[in-house]
Amino acid sequence: MEVIITGANAITSPYLHIWDWRVAIYLFLGGLAAGCMVMSAIANLRPGKSVAPDDPCCWRVVILSPIILNIGMFFLFLDLEAKHNMLSFYTTLQPLSPMSWGSWILLLIFPAMIAYAFSVIPAENREVLRFKGLIKFAEQMGRHLRLLAKINFAFGIILGIYTGVLLSSFAARPLWNSSILPILFLNSALSTGAATMILMAHKNEVKLFFTKVDIWLIACEIVVIGLLFYGQYTSSAAARESIMPFFTMSHEYFPYFVSIIALSVIFPLAIVLKFSEMAGEHSETLSLRQKLEMNVSAILVLLGGAIIRFALVYAGQLSKFTGLS
Amino acid sequence: MSKYAMVIDQSRCIGCMACIVACKAENDVPPEMFRTRVMDITKGKFPKLRTEYRSELCNHCDDAQCVTACPTGASHNRDDGTVQIDRKKCVGCKACLAACPYDARYINHEHGYADKCTFCTHRVEKGLEPACVATCVGRSRIFGDLSDKNSEVSRLLAENEHRVLLKEAGTKPQVYYINRYPNHK
Repeated sequence: MEVIITGANAITSPYLHIWDWRVAIYLFLGGLAAGCMVMSAIANLRPGKSVAPDDPCCWRVVILSPIILNIGMFFLFLDLEAKHNMLSFYTTLQPLSPMSWGSWILLLIFPAMIAYAFSVIPAENREVLRFKGLIKFAEQMGRHLRLLAKINFAFGIILGIYTGVLLSSFAARPLWNSSILPILFLNSALSTGAATMILMAHKNEVKLFFTKVDIWLIACEIVVIGLLFYGQYTSSAAARESIMPFFTMSHEYFPYFVSIIALSVIFPLAIVLKFSEMAGEHSETLSLRQKLEMNVSAILVLLGGAIIRFALVYAGQLSKFTGLS
Repeated sequence: MSKYAMVIDQSRCIGCMACIVACKAENDVPPEMFRTRVMDITKGKFPKLRTEYRSELCNHCDDAQCVTACPTGASHNRDDGTVQIDRKKCVGCKACLAACPYDARYINHEHGYADKCTFCTHRVEKGLEPACVATCVGRSRIFGDLSDKNSEVSRLLAENEHRVLLKEAGTKPQVYYINRYPNHK
């Protein structure tokens, strides 16, 4: 078969390429912020407070979350073609458009994140806020820490799911159009959140707690990735073709092939490192080797989360319905 | 209420590409972009070959996924059945481009909004045909009102077996195709 197209648009032909690294970074950082919200809420809400509330991960990660989300949204802003019309997002609510309710959800999430961030600032550090009004606000919010942690936990889950729904709602792109995708993105978000907690925590017991959490999350992530590919393979011809870039070792699809190989190495390696951490004897102070293992495994998890977003954002745009020619 | 649609008689297309030129001239489409395209698809094994000329454009779907995906309401279904874009509301997020299974949209980089075929609504409101229809030398493109039972589009659809592109996408397109191949006897 020979196909000659007169009048093809470079942006959609031979395949769609409208979203690039900016959107991939937004999805990654959005997920990371969601994970940080959930994991820091867990740290602050744990019964018995086995995770020490004065550990930096219990408050620094909370403060970090809105900053991460803001950076992510800055990249999304960079991707908008008509930035001067941005307020149009907030002049309407389109109930069937995930991007519309997502923009409203972000508007709700930010105040909750900020209030939570103020609530966790330790009393001895509140003076860095300088302004009396802010210090008073931090004191007031501090009294509602547990409630704010619960609210942020719920919003974190919603944000994590949202980053996946954003892509999975496009029926025209078979790779994205899977109900597994939001689950995968949520799982990855939680996993990267736990990795951030491990990196930020000072106390041995806190690092170990989130190491245990992350082992389960990584294991689930591997299963969910497998289910995504299995679901696509056993679905329609278009869905099956949509995953082929990941399993085709050609020049054209090389980055996708490498990404699946990288994920196949990164996640199992992260789990092995984490089990290695668990197996060792842990004193009050961590040895250099233990610290190195923990940090390397956490960085691997973050790297895996970024690879998932980049690979799926780009590969999804290669996929389309196959019945046109 | 009008219900605009287009019928494309593929057997009458000679592949002159005048529709593409007329569209670009009428709608001031940027040089590197197109609102309509012509597919020249040859199948078979020499000497038994078959060529299909197929004009493609926005299908002005009744259940348009670009409208559903649009976060600002810029993309909308009009009462006359066409899908239009309010440029003042468009933020250029490109969700509509990702949502369109026909890849019928593009971004006007100069102004930042998403753009596509409008069925030349500015001409239709004056009682004229869309530019591509008016210029089509073979009368391959026929435009009209489906709510009028006596219109040419209603008659053609009643008399001919017709199809839409990517029916499985479930978008209820309003561009219909008849006579896929020329009938040489």
